[in-house]
Amino acid sequence: MPNPYIPMLTRVKSIISENEVRDIKTIELEFQKEEKYKAFDYIPGQFAEISIIGKGECPIGIASSPTEEGTIKFTIKKMGTVTSAFHNRDIGDTIGVRGPLGNGWPMEELKEKNIVVIGGGFAFSTLRSLILYVLDDKHRKDYGKITVIYGNRDSGEVLYRDVLEEWEKRDDIEVVLTIDREEEGWTRKVGFVAAIVKEVAPSPDNAVAIICGPPIMIRTTVDELVKIGWKDEQILNSLEMRMKCGIGKCGRCNIGSNFVCIDGPVFSLAELKKMPNEY
Amino acid sequence: MAEKILKKDDIGRLYSELEKEYKFYAPTKVKGNIAFKKISNAEEIELEYLNSKVPPKDVLFPQKETIFEYRYEGKDVIIEERKDLEDKLLIFGVRLCDAYSFKLLEDFFASGDFQDDIFLKKRENATIIGIGCNSPRQSCFCTSVGGHPFQKESTDVFLSDLGDTYLVEAISEKGESLLKKLSWLTDAKKADLTKSKELAKQAEEALTTKFDFDLVTKVLDENFEHPVWQEISESCIGCSSCTFLCPTCTCFDVIDENDEYNNRGRRIRIWDTCQSCLYTLETSGHNPRPAKIQRCRNRIMHKFSYYPSNYDCLGCVGCGRCITACPVNNELRLIIDKILEIEEKSGEKVSA
Repeated sequence: MPNPYIPMLTRVKSIISENEVRDIKTIELEFQKEEKYKAFDYIPGQFAEISIIGKGECPIGIASSPTEEGTIKFTIKKMGTVTSAFHNRDIGDTIGVRGPLGNGWPMEELKEKNIVVIGGGFAFSTLRSLILYVLDDKHRKDYGKITVIYGNRDSGEVLYRDVLEEWEKRDDIEVVLTIDREEEGWTRKVGFVAAIVKEVAPSPDNAVAIICGPPIMIRTTVDELVKIGWKDEQILNSLEMRMKCGIGKCGRCNIGSNFVCIDGPVFSLAELKKMPNEY
Repeated sequence: MAEKILKKDDIGRLYSELEKEYKFYAPTKVKGNIAFKKISNAEEIELEYLNSKVPPKDVLFPQKETIFEYRYEGKDVIIEERKDLEDKLLIFGVRLCDAYSFKLLEDFFASGDFQDDIFLKKRENATIIGIGCNSPRQSCFCTSVGGHPFQKESTDVFLSDLGDTYLVEAISEKGESLLKKLSWLTDAKKADLTKSKELAKQAEEALTTKFDFDLVTKVLDENFEHPVWQEISESCIGCSSCTFLCPTCTCFDVIDENDEYNNRGRRIRIWDTCQSCLYTLETSGHNPRPAKIQRCRNRIMHKFSYYPSNYDCLGCVGCGRCITACPVNNELRLIIDKILEIEEKSGEKVSA
């Protein structure tokens, strides 16, 4: 077995600035060795440890879907040393990738089910991956009704405008966009995600809710879902924790006896309720 | 293979015959403390010692080690993996608690879907010569965590200190092949074996600290939110001596050491500690364990609850280093007492 701490080498193929304030970028990576890409067999919801060698490494959810062949994508907000270094990359620069890591969204268990995707802010990346995956011609028939509720602070923060437009043209997916405050020219919903979830009131029948966002959004949204009859087992979250190795060895991402990197990052609300409140 | 006898005067001979083949690590005096270091002379070996300050874990999992080296050539990065992982290592004079810790470390680093290649290769290439503890320290409690001052199983070669000589036993195949290289060792007599057994018995009797850790695990599992954690964490100053000196602690940080002027550098890992608030601090400012109470609890829960639930054994070998190192005397024995008191008090309530 190869040394799991050695990154695979990729090159920056494209860089997209995603938001108005330009602190979120999506970086598309192409593997330097074709066989490494073939071995990078992932499902939506998994993450990778990506690094600028010489600056450091950080865990980032995979924003691309396995159905988008040839490259992988990561959406990165400029926050600390490593993420800032990512924002200074140019086309052709070398990026290290270790992964895919973590359990990902349970794509097999989601089959035949209606899927309600609820996202807030830039945590939408692995949700982008999931939606593209289920909408793909090869998979669409395996999944039921798809509802997407996606909230942002303001219209300038809405990510992935290209794919959102594509989705809105389709009749097999309902997309509900919302922003926190009224804005001139905004024709969609206005209000926090939880309030919009209450309004849309997605049915829990044969359905799974997939929630990604800031902790306060998750809590308030879950409360609304529970009120309209959703069970803890039907609600899935993806957690984030500080990580170094991503493979269950460096220690720090434990919540009780679980490691977010190998036992998660996806946990059902039922599982989370059994774990200590240390996340 | 029959037991052998090694005269203490012949340690030099043993060293000079084995140092050609192995990187020879042994207990030696460093700044007044015992430490396991690669020695270059048999005189450096210290035979009269209770145990080292830093566990011999650091031979296989050092405080700081290279994961890989790299260099930039334009936009290309060339990664160079370590080449020293195949070196043969000999660790001489390991106490049995620490020898057992190698087994725990090996099981941990090999667990799950990802194997820690760096540790496991070194472990595979290491031969452990253990020495029985004739006189355990007051802070030792190996028998409470499934160990014994003469527990041979985790060693390759086992030595009992009989005074002027060592009784030598090959425990593993590695140990047998090592002893074959020392054909000059004399055969042990029946009296030597009897003496070793007596020493083992005396050592066991000398251990006065005893805990029922099955009960500790049970109480911990049921009392995550108990106010006792406030009490336990109150005096802790977060110095992290307990974790840095622990033979089973494995947490590490990963850092790139970059030499910008020469376009090269290395990615290293260094020991980290769950007792530091930076350990879990996220870039956003959010911290899942921001308070001392959570960090103290995490250490105890990890050793005595999470470890049993994940790996089916305790994450402690009873070496007592965290007990002697704690600068505020917030030591493990007192913590365990406080935890067990929860159970005693609830028992009293039921009977009353």
